[in-house]
Amino acid sequence: MTSQIQCLIVTPEKTVVDQRADFAALPLYDGELGVAPGHTPMIGRLGSGELRIRAAEGTRRFYVEGGFVEVLDNVVTVLTSRALPAEEINPDVVAEQLRAARSRPARSDEEFAERDRLAAQYRAQARVARRAQQAAR
Amino acid sequence: MAKARTLDKRRKAIRNIHKITRTMELISRANFSRAMARAVSATAYTKRITALVGHLARSGLNVTHPLMQPHEPVRSGVLLVLTSNRGLCGGYNAAVFRLAASRWNAMVEEMPGPCLEVVGKRGISAFRFRGVQPRQSFTHFNDKPAFAEVEVLANRYQEEYLAGRLDRLEIAYTRFESLSRQVAVVETLLPLGALVSEEVGGNDANHGASPAAYEFFPSPEAILEEVVPTSFKIKLFKCFLDAAVSEQIARMTAMKAATENAEAMIEALTMTYNRARQGQITSEMLEVLGGAEALNE
Repeated sequence: MTSQIQCLIVTPEKTVVDQRADFAALPLYDGELGVAPGHTPMIGRLGSGELRIRAAEGTRRFYVEGGFVEVLDNVVTVLTSRALPAEEINPDVVAEQLRAARSRPARSDEEFAERDRLAAQYRAQARVARRAQQAAR
Repeated sequence: MAKARTLDKRRKAIRNIHKITRTMELISRANFSRAMARAVSATAYTKRITALVGHLARSGLNVTHPLMQPHEPVRSGVLLVLTSNRGLCGGYNAAVFRLAASRWNAMVEEMPGPCLEVVGKRGISAFRFRGVQPRQSFTHFNDKPAFAEVEVLANRYQEEYLAGRLDRLEIAYTRFESLSRQVAVVETLLPLGALVSEEVGGNDANHGASPAAYEFFPSPEAILEEVVPTSFKIKLFKCFLDAAVSEQIARMTAMKAATENAEAMIEALTMTYNRARQGQITSEMLEVLGGAEALNE
């Protein structure tokens, strides 16, 4: 049994991460899931939130938005439509976007749902950025 | 005989054209390698999604989804045509347009509510020339279509399809097969075709491991619910990428041919120019000699 996992994050536009790691924490649709070496094969749905990859050279943090994860033979494959490195998220910009999203007029149920979804995404982004800053300190 | 002057002028003009076409060739070559890299990464994503669906299917799940159910009868269909914003790319736009126009005519006869949507200025003006008004047209997709932009389109189609306002989505674009082969095709994106077909057989051969070893969060059905729309989006995105790659290749080839033509023309003109100049000198000399001889007598 190897003591490391292979981490892959793939978006439609490019492969964001392909590295070996000791541990990965994934934002599933209903909460966080940790994957250590020797994890049982699984397929899960992702929500939006923070993805952490812990390796010998340090922890990398990403914001991912939806998608899937597949764990098989110590290979963790994350398929997501968006993966942003946490350092690249600007909290001020996100706060502004959140404000704009929340002040969007919503008249129908779908518009309300859309607004809530957007707001939740921006909040998750802000959270990821904040945690990255705390970790850096 | 002022012919030498005009020949020289023409030669200069062609030299300028030569410079321009060569630069355009170089630019599209650079764009091409970038577009190609993007297409390759998208393929990586597609492959993994297909593998995932394969695993789902092997866990004994029946792969069906509202997006895969054909609507009968087909009342309203959308034909999405992908062309480029800029010209000077050989037969690229013409090939797509020819196919799209004939498909469009067939659609008008087949169903009561066909809709035309066109991407790219070239296609828009070609359809306008034919007197067909597209329902929607887009010019903001450049040579690097972003997934977020395509996703907006995909979401709209998906919504319309699920709501029953759309019964069929077809797309006319140039499929990239290899560096030397790109074909204009019309494909049906909705209803979504089989997601696994050939993949399942290949996977079983690769690792005949116990098929139901996966754990699913929350459940295979819920994941399938999400996977199918995602693979629709990625399919649409792939079409855009293929079109972008093919456009660059078409432009590269066209500009290469233009550059070579200009070179040949410059060579031919230089020859004619030299001859004309020599002729001019000779006739001038003859005039001087003739004059001198007349004086001598």
